[in-house]
Amino acid sequence: MDRREFLKYSSLMSAAGLAPELAFSANGSIPEKIVVLVELKGGNDGFNTLVPYRDPAYKKLRPTIHIPEKRVLTLAQGNMGMHPNLTELMKVWNQGDMAWVQGLGYQGAVLSHFRSMDIWDSGSNANQFISDGWLSQVLPNYKAGLHGICVSPDGSSLGPLQSANMNSVAMQSPRMFVNQSRSIQDVTPVNSTAALAHLTTTQHQLFQAGQQLREKMTRSLKQKTRSNSKGAFGHSLNSVAQMITAGIDCPVYKVTQDGFDMHSGQTGRHNNNLYQVNHSLGQFVHKMKQQGLWDRIVIMSYSEFGRRAAENRAGGTDHGTASAQFVMGGGIRGGLYGQHPNMEQLDPNGNVAHTTDFRQMYATMAQRVWRQGNHPWQGHKTIPFV
Amino acid sequence: MGKLGLVKARHLVSRTGMGAEWATIQRYKNLTMNDAVAHTLSYVDYTLPRPPRTSSWTKTVGNRKSVSRQRNMMRMSKNEGAALQTWWANHMLTTKTPFLERMTLFWSNHFPSTIAGTKQPSALYHQNVMLRKNALGNYGNMLMAVSKDPAMLIYLDGYSNIKDDPNENFAREVLELFTMGGTVYYSENDIKNAARAFTGWSIDDRTGKFINRPEQHDTGVKTFMGKRGNFNGDDILKILLQHPRTAETIAEKMWKEFINTSRPNPGYTRKWAHIFRTSNYDIKTLLTAVLTSDVFWHPANMGGLIKSPVELAIGTMRTLPYRLRKNNLAHNLSLMGQSLFAQPSVKGWDGGESWISTQSLMRRSGLMTNLTRGNLRGKHDPLFMRHMPECSDEELMAWLIPVKPLHPLPTQPGRQRLVRALVLDPAYQVS
Repeated sequence: MDRREFLKYSSLMSAAGLAPELAFSANGSIPEKIVVLVELKGGNDGFNTLVPYRDPAYKKLRPTIHIPEKRVLTLAQGNMGMHPNLTELMKVWNQGDMAWVQGLGYQGAVLSHFRSMDIWDSGSNANQFISDGWLSQVLPNYKAGLHGICVSPDGSSLGPLQSANMNSVAMQSPRMFVNQSRSIQDVTPVNSTAALAHLTTTQHQLFQAGQQLREKMTRSLKQKTRSNSKGAFGHSLNSVAQMITAGIDCPVYKVTQDGFDMHSGQTGRHNNNLYQVNHSLGQFVHKMKQQGLWDRIVIMSYSEFGRRAAENRAGGTDHGTASAQFVMGGGIRGGLYGQHPNMEQLDPNGNVAHTTDFRQMYATMAQRVWRQGNHPWQGHKTIPFV
Repeated sequence: MGKLGLVKARHLVSRTGMGAEWATIQRYKNLTMNDAVAHTLSYVDYTLPRPPRTSSWTKTVGNRKSVSRQRNMMRMSKNEGAALQTWWANHMLTTKTPFLERMTLFWSNHFPSTIAGTKQPSALYHQNVMLRKNALGNYGNMLMAVSKDPAMLIYLDGYSNIKDDPNENFAREVLELFTMGGTVYYSENDIKNAARAFTGWSIDDRTGKFINRPEQHDTGVKTFMGKRGNFNGDDILKILLQHPRTAETIAEKMWKEFINTSRPNPGYTRKWAHIFRTSNYDIKTLLTAVLTSDVFWHPANMGGLIKSPVELAIGTMRTLPYRLRKNNLAHNLSLMGQSLFAQPSVKGWDGGESWISTQSLMRRSGLMTNLTRGNLRGKHDPLFMRHMPECSDEELMAWLIPVKPLHPLPTQPGRQRLVRALVLDPAYQVS
């Protein structure tokens, strides 16, 4: 089918009775705030990311893997410092656009990757089972149309964007999405079985998102842009930058850096992972500033849990609880928030107690970024980083 | 009891085989439900095509321990792993007894070990043979065999679990995924004690086979699931097999494999679990209960499952005379999210609705378009027609899709065109 024929066909298809609440605004514009969720999968070691280099317990518990004071990028605040590979993030910190939130976790911490990630994804309590992502409590009220795009090499789980109430899209890259969505026919969602409901809704979303992306990106994708990004995480963030710049009407993007589960030989592997995170995010920040979009961006990291306070005998760390996460953006009030966990008072598993509930982050995002007062985390105080 | 007829026969075949072969459906439609289910469970052939050449443990163990030879290990495991993927995909495509392969795939997703996680495709091949041997046997035996399986010992760090440095990885997943299911039935302390009990289970560097090293075993007293004793790994597994949750976990997975994508109905899964446990974990007994249940045959569940990439790709090629241009079946499976011997985590593929994302749907639909390419041409393809059954259009539809098509059917006549339209219809993606 040639292009003209295709356009004729697609316009016919989209006119054919779509559920109105699903229809994406065809000429929707770039949102006021764009949130980029950075998933650090496997359980990132917060203590070797935001380093409590003056805490005597830290050095004592980690005789071989602690990061010494002279290598830490010191924050000149709270005796904390960043991992030496986070040089690009340090620039953002120095400009006052980066917040670190310490001691994030929840009551009754679960040490299973899968279960704890479900809890973070849904914003549930430790003993509550919710399958919808936490963003489904906020975004459908915030706007119609496309809610989120998850970019990953395997087009895998939507995580916080997972819900039948949201229009979320998973993709490998916008280039592939634009090319391959051409042959997708629209379908009116049915619900004769749960399987068919999911299938037809996804196909409808795919058709709609494909239309918007083709319309806005066909030209920009033709330009050969040189990308310096390396690794899956860098490519994903590069894709996100392309879509934001092209003016895709999408409030949330999600990217993943995998491989943080380091039970042995942690130092080298953690250095590599944080190197990837640092360089990819550094480039992303640079592009957003170039485009004059930095003030709209809110980058937020999360991970299913931190690591154990003490190192193990294999030079790694086992599953832990509370950890530090960062938030960056032109509108972010930089600084340290929350309390560094007490590393001298450990639970029977050798883990620290959390000091800040992770849903305070979600309450903050809902209220201060999207200005939605109606959310399920009313009991959780917002954090003044926005 | 009446005969199955076309619709029920295709339901059974498409959910227990790979694809829905016309010849099998024709045989089953004249059988009663019990006879058809009994035939499905007993019609198995364990012979395998010759495996690809893989490097044995004794050859690789030197490289494994050397930091500078890690790149060699990566390259070797990638190449040999790809050959192993192709080997299994091709066997699934050509086997005469697809139910056995389907169940082997089911168990290999319950007990995953991966190419990247083991860097030892030779061990993955042996694990695959072991799982096939146990696939319709006894779950207790399979759990014991998996716990001593070299690929699993590498994948979940069991072989570095020694008394001076217990590694919790295997113990945690045995409890969370292989037996109890979920995290609410045991404590962190149970995990720690189970890990101690498993210490000493390792791999013999001279043979690449399982070895018990008593000098590495923690002989102290352990408390596990409310019991105290000088437990070893076998004791832990026995205690887990006595717990009712183990059978329930498997029954719940059977629901997701055979009934529908919604949450398992405990009214059924508890009953199946009870049958399973009282049969001392006989897998055929459990499968008989599942496949003869009213909920399996309920019309509302027809179209209630989403085809896995294996069912979609291999099933289509077994059902219809479509072939890939290039022999890259295993690669196609991985593009759709089911890379064999390469599950994303020890939890395996989530399956069900998670097979379908916007990304995977493009791949799935792209593959169907590729397979049916040329079917819009006006002229008849005699080769294609020779492999198609002679039946009415209504029968053709009842054969290929479990629910009515969602897109309008082609107005122009022609069998090839109709088959193509059905294969490209969203209804073809469900089972």
